[in-house]
Amino acid sequence: MPSVIVKDVCVDLPIYNSRGRSFKSTILAHTVGGRVADDRDRSLLIIRALNHVNLELKHGDRVAIIGANGAGKTTLLRIMGRIYPPTSGTVESVGRIACLTDLNVGMDVEATGYENIKMRGVLLGLTRQEIAALVPDVAEFTELGEYLKLPIRCYSQGMMLRLAFGISTAIQPDIILLDEIISVGDQAFAERARQRLNSLIEAASILVLATHDLYMARELCLSTVWMSHGRVIDYGQSDKILERYAASSQAP
Amino acid sequence: MVRDIYAGVADIYDGLRKWRMWWMLAWNDVRRRYRRSVLGQFWLTMSMAVTIGGLGFVYSHLFGVDVSTYLPYIAVTFVTWAIISPVIVDSCNALIESDHLLRHISLPRSLFAYRVLARNLIIAGHNVLIIPIVFIIFHVGMNANILWLSVGLALVSINGFWIGYFLSIVCARFRDIPQIVASIMQVVFFVTPVMFLPSQLAKRGISVVKWNPFANLLEVVRDPILGAVPSAWALGSCAAMAFVGFLLLIPFAGRYAPRVIYWV
Repeated sequence: MPSVIVKDVCVDLPIYNSRGRSFKSTILAHTVGGRVADDRDRSLLIIRALNHVNLELKHGDRVAIIGANGAGKTTLLRIMGRIYPPTSGTVESVGRIACLTDLNVGMDVEATGYENIKMRGVLLGLTRQEIAALVPDVAEFTELGEYLKLPIRCYSQGMMLRLAFGISTAIQPDIILLDEIISVGDQAFAERARQRLNSLIEAASILVLATHDLYMARELCLSTVWMSHGRVIDYGQSDKILERYAASSQAP
Repeated sequence: MVRDIYAGVADIYDGLRKWRMWWMLAWNDVRRRYRRSVLGQFWLTMSMAVTIGGLGFVYSHLFGVDVSTYLPYIAVTFVTWAIISPVIVDSCNALIESDHLLRHISLPRSLFAYRVLARNLIIAGHNVLIIPIVFIIFHVGMNANILWLSVGLALVSINGFWIGYFLSIVCARFRDIPQIVASIMQVVFFVTPVMFLPSQLAKRGISVVKWNPFANLLEVVRDPILGAVPSAWALGSCAAMAFVGFLLLIPFAGRYAPRVIYWV
């Protein structure tokens, strides 16, 4: 049974400037006993992106993550998607995870549409047969036809998005991590994309959606996590949380 | 420490198991560099052939060595060096360049070291076409010792992997290291018998070559192609280097590889 358990997770992001990154300053710091009279160097900035976060998701959960910019929504998604290792605490997950934080990941503009589909298939960890099955599905959905034989640098922005969206949503995952609801293309295509995404979400075991769109959060998710400054400040039924969140952001 | 060793082994093994990914990425790297050109990736072979031809004639006179000895020799050493040196230099940027993939897909870090190694072996596969041509022109024969080549290539790959993977992690953190490595490899090129014959130095009683790990790596690939068995010293020291290298790499990778995502 798919599940995600985030236990007491902290994430500290170190921000290095070029001095902090240089080997010279590290060596110098050792040789002179750390008494370099250089104030610029003391500023190894550490940002606590997540602060003792606990979250337990099980089969059937549809969770929205809301909060202001920089509250840690995307970082939390990345922790669950195993992109970031937690600085402390543990993350355990069961099931195939799709981290839809960037549709364009792993695309090569010099390669053709078909080549890109295959390359993405490989990056998703599929076998040759599975990829062969993937190609016609994506080709049909994107309606790119002959264009798939051309390098994607010839594509318009919209065509590129169609392809990226088509590939990203071709495999049914158990757990979907979504950074904002994606909408692509012209009206007719946007509608088909919405349907495709919805059927993907419906068939998935767990959905986590980081969003600013409170309407979408209410529509798609039964429960909501409200984050602020890397902490979970409220977690519960979407209706209640969203009401409180809306009230707090309206308050002066 | 135990946990680091366990994580390091898991990372290296997991990367190896995902061979489809790094093999695909490596091929795509080679192809994309020469897309839209007529000769495609055979430009690699062309430029290598021109280098070997030009250097071969000029330097054989400069060193006073017979061209029919010298040119086949540097054909083999240049093709071999074109594996060893780029594996080390390219690895420095292996993780830095792949930041976009790392940020959106959960992948073992070792995958990118395998990718650099595979990329350069693929390129070597193109360059190697030069060797039979040169051998035919200068009537150089091969013999059964060519079988040692498999051992030689394995030693170069294993050592290339650990050095490359180690550097890829260090370079993600310290951005000056790629420059340092590039200049070191430049010097190493001149003190390793790539352009000169080791016998030229040995005549004068200089044994620098013996203690140069790159000379040993070169020898275990070069000698089988030229019809000789690599010396026990070269084979042994390459094997020892691989062994010690992995002992150091495993706990290091286990500890620091997960943190790479915060550095790239």
